[in-house]
Amino acid sequence: MIRHISTEDLSAYLDSELGFAEIVPLEAHCASCTECGSRLASLRRVVNGLGNLPRAEPPAALRQQIRRQAQAVPPTPGWQRRLDWLRLLLFPVRPALRTASAFGLAMLAGVFAISHGVADGFLRVSEPPPREDVEAYAGEAPVLLRQTTSEVAGRKFVWTDDGGWVQRGLEWATPETQLDAHSPQGRALLTRYSGLRLLLLEDGSSVILRDNLKTVVEIRNVPTPPRVMSGASQPRPGRRGHVMSA
Amino acid sequence: MGVATVYPSVHQDVALDVELVERHRCGDLQAFDEVYGRFGEMVYNLSLRLSGNREEAADLTQEVFLRIYRHLGSFAGRSTLKTWVFRIAINHCRDRLSRHVPPMQSIDGDPETGSVAITDPARGPEELAVAADEGRRVMMGLAQLPPVFREAVVLRDLEGLSYEEIAEVLGVRVGTVRSRIARGRDHLRLHLEKGL
Repeated sequence: MIRHISTEDLSAYLDSELGFAEIVPLEAHCASCTECGSRLASLRRVVNGLGNLPRAEPPAALRQQIRRQAQAVPPTPGWQRRLDWLRLLLFPVRPALRTASAFGLAMLAGVFAISHGVADGFLRVSEPPPREDVEAYAGEAPVLLRQTTSEVAGRKFVWTDDGGWVQRGLEWATPETQLDAHSPQGRALLTRYSGLRLLLLEDGSSVILRDNLKTVVEIRNVPTPPRVMSGASQPRPGRRGHVMSA
Repeated sequence: MGVATVYPSVHQDVALDVELVERHRCGDLQAFDEVYGRFGEMVYNLSLRLSGNREEAADLTQEVFLRIYRHLGSFAGRSTLKTWVFRIAINHCRDRLSRHVPPMQSIDGDPETGSVAITDPARGPEELAVAADEGRRVMMGLAQLPPVFREAVVLRDLEGLSYEEIAEVLGVRVGTVRSRIARGRDHLRLHLEKGL
């Protein structure tokens, strides 16, 4: 099988762009191969034809015209050159570049927004409200089978001997903060975990839970003073005992 | 089977480039005039081959040199002044010709007949007539080349730039230049063979 010389190599040969090691076999091949020899001769004709094209002289008035215009235009100051670059970046002429530029700028804007926290409002996926399906609530517990666990907002609570509810896992933790259920902070917490209201019994039971994964909070349900002072009931003294098993 | 293609030699003295730019920075108007003297004809011919229209070529040359005048002070000397000028010219031609393609006209020899005038005292009248006919066909083939191949062929065969210089002007690799030149010439070869 005869392997012919590529047009690229023939063209490079005419431009003296081949090394000696490539020239010798190429010349030998072209001397024996009619097809490659003929292609080389045709390419040479093309190169010679192009080289023979007469050079055009620019119009005589052009030089004067350019000189006159150049003198009228001051050289571009530095700030304007930078502005030109910006213009070129934002509004490139070629459609493909324009698309690429728009994509690039969008990426830059995204990176900037994320790194500076600007996009938090846009990117934050709206958190689903905490689950508040209370599976069981502490009420008047049956005598034989006392309800001791509850689940509120995806958290498990256990009933303690103190007469309060403690989030599972925090049985031995000391609350860092104590909030009155009727205080603004307590109300805010109860608004967030509204299912807790069901746990907070009228008789003054408390709830200990971990808020925001950081703070252990105890919400004490101090009953509002009754209008009739004599009927006021006092909350039971808080004492946390062992966790009763279910 | 030797190759003896002679291209117009261009003075590429880097020291002269730097000196010209320094003089321009200092407000010497003569410096810019010298830049035009060195590259004006090349830029005009390049514009002429790429646009195929004399008036357009004159406009392009004027705009290219005004751009050169504005930015000559920022020439950093990372390339030669010649490749810098050609790069500005090529980019400006691409920019303008992508928005507006002027009507092609006979740009070589007689504007009426389109015949190419080749004067060579060493050749006889018949040989000159054949060469002129071939020149006309090469010129027509060149005008029909896709712009990427035309740019490479014009820079190489008409302006005499080396492969490395063309790579610098076009912002591509030398291998790409080699391939574009070969493909452009091959198009022209087929065009010539069709006409026979």
